[in-house]
Amino acid sequence: MRPRLITARRGLMSPGSRHSRSRVVLFGAVGTIFWLGTFAVFYRVLSYFQSVEDFGNILAMKLLSMLMITFSALLLFSNIINHLSNIYLSRDLPLLHSLPVSTEDLFMSRWLGSLADSSWMVIVFSLPVFLSYGLIFKAGMFYYLVSLGAIFCLCLIASSLSALAVLLGAAILPAGKIRTLFVVLGVGLAIMLIIILRLIRPEQLVNPDSFASVVVYLNSLQALSIPYLPTTWITDTVHHALNARWKTSLFNLALSFSCALTLIFAIEMIATRLYTRGFSRAQTTARRLFRPLKFFGRSWEDVLFFLSGQARAFAVKDIRTFFRDPTQWPQLFLICALILIYLYNFSVLPLDKSPIKTIYLQNIFSFLNVGLAAFVLSAIAARFVFPAVSAEGEAFWIVRSAPASLKIFLWSKFFLYFIPLLILTELLIAASNLLLGVTPFMMYLSMLTILFLVPAITGLAVGLGARFPDFKSENPALAATGLGGVVFMLLSFGLITAVLILEAGPVYRIFMARLHGQGFSAMQIMWFLLSFIFAICLCLCSLFLPMILGEKYLRKI
Amino acid sequence: MIEMDNVTKDFGTTVAVNRLSLHVGKGEIYGFIGPNGAGKTTTIRLMGGIIEPTSGNIRIGGIDLRQNPVAAKRIIGFVPDRPFLYEKLTGSEFMKFIGDLYGVGRKAMAANTDKLLNQFALFEWRDEIIEAYSHGMKQRLILAAALLHEPGVLVIDEPMVGLDPAAVKMVKDIFRTLAAQNVTIFLSTHTLGIAEDLCDRIGVIHRGKLLAQGTMAELNHAAKTGAAGLEEVFLTLVHES
Repeated sequence: MRPRLITARRGLMSPGSRHSRSRVVLFGAVGTIFWLGTFAVFYRVLSYFQSVEDFGNILAMKLLSMLMITFSALLLFSNIINHLSNIYLSRDLPLLHSLPVSTEDLFMSRWLGSLADSSWMVIVFSLPVFLSYGLIFKAGMFYYLVSLGAIFCLCLIASSLSALAVLLGAAILPAGKIRTLFVVLGVGLAIMLIIILRLIRPEQLVNPDSFASVVVYLNSLQALSIPYLPTTWITDTVHHALNARWKTSLFNLALSFSCALTLIFAIEMIATRLYTRGFSRAQTTARRLFRPLKFFGRSWEDVLFFLSGQARAFAVKDIRTFFRDPTQWPQLFLICALILIYLYNFSVLPLDKSPIKTIYLQNIFSFLNVGLAAFVLSAIAARFVFPAVSAEGEAFWIVRSAPASLKIFLWSKFFLYFIPLLILTELLIAASNLLLGVTPFMMYLSMLTILFLVPAITGLAVGLGARFPDFKSENPALAATGLGGVVFMLLSFGLITAVLILEAGPVYRIFMARLHGQGFSAMQIMWFLLSFIFAICLCLCSLFLPMILGEKYLRKI
Repeated sequence: MIEMDNVTKDFGTTVAVNRLSLHVGKGEIYGFIGPNGAGKTTTIRLMGGIIEPTSGNIRIGGIDLRQNPVAAKRIIGFVPDRPFLYEKLTGSEFMKFIGDLYGVGRKAMAANTDKLLNQFALFEWRDEIIEAYSHGMKQRLILAAALLHEPGVLVIDEPMVGLDPAAVKMVKDIFRTLAAQNVTIFLSTHTLGIAEDLCDRIGVIHRGKLLAQGTMAELNHAAKTGAAGLEEVFLTLVHES
């Protein structure tokens, strides 16, 4: 564990590193905002629940149970991913396996690291939830201590169960196929998300008329409790502590803790038998999963005929690398699932039941939808576009030594992501606008806005990705979680908000004037033009400035 | 073909290369030796255009590397000390990628790729992804790729690391053939025997400064070691500095 702890300490405490200190400050600020935001939301929701007579407590407890299930799902998934990386695929493992260290010590040290990686965020962001429950229910110190113990137990149980699954999976699956597990997991998670969404049917919660009665409503909420699940014990621990039932609370906590210890003992025992075998299997020769795709003797590369030789070479290399890396696929599936959910939400919006006129609401939603789609685009860009330069890894020397300018390198990255993102976002906007049934004006406006926002956000991601590269990381996607990733997200959100604010006034005026058949004054036309021109300028600056900045930085390193 | 005039590279906390000047002629094999951390890799990276010097000029084939990097790099074949590659590409895909970057024509690319992959005993592995290659195979692939565009200058950092004895002999033969065809070769190495055996001239660098350079006789003269071997010359020069 020591190298890991020393590395972490140096990363935080390095006295000469202004970069790392500003990183800590920035992350601290963003984290605190999220923390306070989470607290405010939960406090508000729980206060509202308390105002609902008879059912307030039931709703609060149901929310607690749903949160615990969500935390468990998050912990299970992130633990599995981290266990596979830390315990089987990490680059330092061959060195560690050559040392005179017992299998169980090696396994447990990696498991502990993985447990910390997967759990810290859930623990940190569960605290405002517990705090808001404690304040609303006026709980004492005992509740807070027990809640901390409960979330700690939840982390231990989820991590042990994941380790168990990974140990068995790595031993059963044929050697070298461990990566495939990532794909299965990704698809599984995507399907799970869709199923959960369909089962919960959140649109029904705002429409109590559709329930035959309150009883049916409550029964439907209570359907999820299963007494033998650790999440139920953990929920019960917190639930009883809130209501000052110490004995029952401590009994459930003890049950959870003993379960965690038993599972840890079990994984240590199983690891002594299975870990070395699984690790050896993971070391087998890598193979291509697919053979080259040919269509009537032509290769898919021919589609990129319009690019120059060097740009095409970069693009072909990036596409191949992307699709041959199975760790990328689950996230693609996940995006597809999220897009389906996104569109599904628009299809079930109960606009006709709203007290506001449908035509206003449709168009307000359409306008807000531009922002929402752009935020989704930012998230996708943060995950896939921002790490694109870092993905070159240690092979970046090839780019630097080749007779190709960094401009070509960066712009080939830009176009590689810009085209699919533009198609995806325009389709998303068009489909959601069709589902909303908006006016042609709103349809054209939102599609035009996205036409400017997509290159701006893509350029911002590529440029800042080049300005904050991480060529040393084993997982380039992690670059998005660093300082550069946060700067990108903040600037991207700032850009989207600024563009929407600039458009909001003119759009409202134009929309109302069309509705009432009115014209515009010269001043108004000037205002519209200036607003739209300023929005376009902002987008162009977001596209070109970061690209120039990134190119300059790469040249200097 | 290679001219470095007063080149300095300051990394802020360390001056890796300090006012280094050297000239390597056409068809010459120049060996660069020095202790660990002497500045060999930094010099090679400067020469390959991977990093820019803090001050000083580098010209490759008469082209200023700072003013016209693309044209200069077009005539360089660069091989780094560690074989980091795009692991998800196959050997032949990597060759094609490099060929496209260097603007090698289709016909020449097909002919040279097969010839080089055969020469470096990688032809049977050409359709396997590089991730599956051993360290030595990756090193051979980089060497093959560096020769694909028929460079005028080869800049190589530790060319023999990870190669088996047969491959070492093959690479040495290739270097001699290339030098006979007027290709300039600049290589850094810790294997003094290879430097002594292969190079026309040798430069000794320590703490970023060139201590001495020349033929074996000139180095012996500079170190006042009579007719000693390179090992003794090297140790004497480094010790005295």
